Amino acid sequence: MYDLIIIGGGPAAVAAGVYAARKKIKTAVVAEAFGGQSLVSADVQNWIGTPSISGFDLAENLKKHLYAYREGVDILEGELVTGISRKDDGTFSLALRNGKEMEAKHVLLASGSRRKKLEVPGEQKFEGRGVVYCSICDAPLFGDKVVAVVGGGNAGLEAVIDLLPYASKIYLLVRSEPKGDAVTLEKIKNDPKVEILTNTIVESIEGQDLVTGVVVKDTRTGEPRKIALEGVFVEIGALPNSEFVKGLVELNGGGEVTVDHKTQRSSVPGIWAAGDVSDVIYKQNNISAGDAVKAVLNIYEMMVKGK
Amino acid sequence: MPKTVKIYSTPSCVYCRMAKAFFVEKNVPYEEFNVQEDMKAREEMFSKSHQLGVPVIDVEGEIYVGFDRSAIAEALGISQ
Repeated sequence: MYDLIIIGGGPAAVAAGVYAARKKIKTAVVAEAFGGQSLVSADVQNWIGTPSISGFDLAENLKKHLYAYREGVDILEGELVTGISRKDDGTFSLALRNGKEMEAKHVLLASGSRRKKLEVPGEQKFEGRGVVYCSICDAPLFGDKVVAVVGGGNAGLEAVIDLLPYASKIYLLVRSEPKGDAVTLEKIKNDPKVEILTNTIVESIEGQDLVTGVVVKDTRTGEPRKIALEGVFVEIGALPNSEFVKGLVELNGGGEVTVDHKTQRSSVPGIWAAGDVSDVIYKQNNISAGDAVKAVLNIYEMMVKGK
Repeated sequence: MPKTVKIYSTPSCVYCRMAKAFFVEKNVPYEEFNVQEDMKAREEMFSKSHQLGVPVIDVEGEIYVGFDRSAIAEALGISQ
C-alpha cells in the first residue's frame, strides 16, 4: 500500500514526485511517458529558469529529475492506469493496463490531456496520409508542398513555424481570430509563405490514397471553398485524460476534474488533481508544476495532521 | 539471435528519438532510415505502413506506427 500514487509523466506529475520523495512519502509514479504535451514543441521559451529548450530535452530533464529520487519513489514507466475504485476503508485500488493492481491511500491525478481531433469527414481515413497530429515529426515530409494548419492557438502557430523551412505555402485556418502569443504571431504574419484565413472552419478533407484538398467554410458568409493541398496539420486544442476516473470524481462539462484551487482536492476525499487534467483555467507547464506541488504539500499536511 | 529492428524516422521527430533511446537503453540493435532525405526508404515505409507519419518501426516484419513502449517491448520480448 502506497501513501501516494501519482498518475502522469508531465511537469505536474514530476514536480509532485520530487516533492513527495523529499517529504519521504511512500510514493509511486505511474507514467506512460515523460514530458507531457510540450514533448512535441520544437522550442519552449517560457519554462522559467530556462530561456530556450526543446520539448524533447525538457522531457528528458523532467525524467532525470524524477529518477534522481528513484531511491524514494517507485517509477512505473510505460505503464497506464485504466481505472480507480474506492474501497470501503477509503483507500484506493488502481487497475493497470498490464492487468496488475496497485493500492494507495492518496491519489494525485496528473494525467494531462491529449490532442483533440477535428471530427470531420475524411480526417480518420487520411490520418498519416496527409492528416498530421505531430507537426515537428512529420513537417519534413511536406517539402515544397501546400499545406494547412488548423487552429489559431499557440500549438497552431508553432506548427506553422515547424513547417516554414519545408512547405511551399501554408494556410493557417482559424475559427475566429488567432489567439497565440503575439511574438510568434508576428513572425508568421510577416512570412510571405503564410496566408491566414480567419473565421474559417474545415468541413471535410478530401483525397484518393493521400490528401488532395480541404473544403473550408467562411463562417461570416457561409461560403464554402475548396483548397488544393497535400497536408492538414490539426492543432485545435486538447481533451483531458480523465476517462479512467469518470463516475468516481466530479468532472466539469469539458471532462476536466473539478478541484478546490487552494488545495487541488477533487470532489472525492483522498483524490487530488493538478495540471491539464484539472479545471485550471490556464494550461501551462509552470502552473501545472506549481499546482502539483500545492497538492503534495496539502497531502503531506493531511497525513501529518490528519485533516 | 536478436530480432531485426528497423526504424523509419525524421531527424526532428521526438517519438523517433524516444524509440531510439529505448532501443539503446535495452541494448536492442536497430537500423535507422531517414525518410526526410531517403526517398526509397520513404516509399518502403509507405508500402509497409500505408501511411506517411513517423516513426514507423519494423520488428521482424511486424509494423508499428508511432512509438508505443509497451507494444514494442512485447514485440521484442523484453521488459518495459
